[in-house]
Amino acid sequence: MSLDDDLAAWAAAVRLPGAEADAIFRRIIATPVPVPGPVAVPSLAPSWWRDFSAGFAARMIDSTRPARRAA
Amino acid sequence: MDSEAEFRRLYQANRVAVHAYLVGRDIGPQPAADLLQDVFLRVWQHLDEVAGMPEDRQRAWIFTVARNLSVDAYRRQHTRAATEQALAHEPARPPAPVSAAVLAAERVAVVGEAIRRLPEQQRVTLVLAAAGELTSAEIAAALGVPAGTVRYRLSLARRSLAEALGHYDDPEEER
Repeated sequence: MSLDDDLAAWAAAVRLPGAEADAIFRRIIATPVPVPGPVAVPSLAPSWWRDFSAGFAARMIDSTRPARRAA
Repeated sequence: MDSEAEFRRLYQANRVAVHAYLVGRDIGPQPAADLLQDVFLRVWQHLDEVAGMPEDRQRAWIFTVARNLSVDAYRRQHTRAATEQALAHEPARPPAPVSAAVLAAERVAVVGEAIRRLPEQQRVTLVLAAAGELTSAEIAAALGVPAGTVRYRLSLARRSLAEALGHYDDPEEER
């Protein structure tokens, strides 16, 4: 028996049977394909700029006041 | 695009080679079948992306997925095997009657064992050629290595295998 014959016999023993390969195919196509939707871009909440601006303005005003002396 | 027809084409064109690759990674027959399903499930889930590639890139993409999944499976498998080996107390088996079928099966087992003992790169290359039905050029494209490297690995693997079978056929040879 040649090496190629031995390899062929071994390959036949390990090869996936056609029925099993078909079963795998059927299981996969029964799985719904995820539909590509619009890519969600992470964005700031609508209120973020309003809060930021208000906080910024408050701190600017505070910074112009003279620091209180400790009692 | 007819998704199912395109997927069927990709599956039929690559399933034998991918299964051979997974067998060559030595993770066991059932894990290889399970992983084949996982690999092609990824293909199905990324069909739009894969279908738009040239054919050689498609195969390389599929083999990259197979390699990544098999690395994880290999780790799981070997952790489990080590545990089972530590716990196993295999009872002695009664001697089996010797028949032609038994001898043939034994020879297949010897070939399989010799293949398992090959270094990984040689083993994967040989199994892709023997069970995956790929040419040297196709193996090279799938694994991303030069065709000359594939031929060299095949040559080394075949030589090791021939030696192993020589010892099996003629155990007195070494004495």
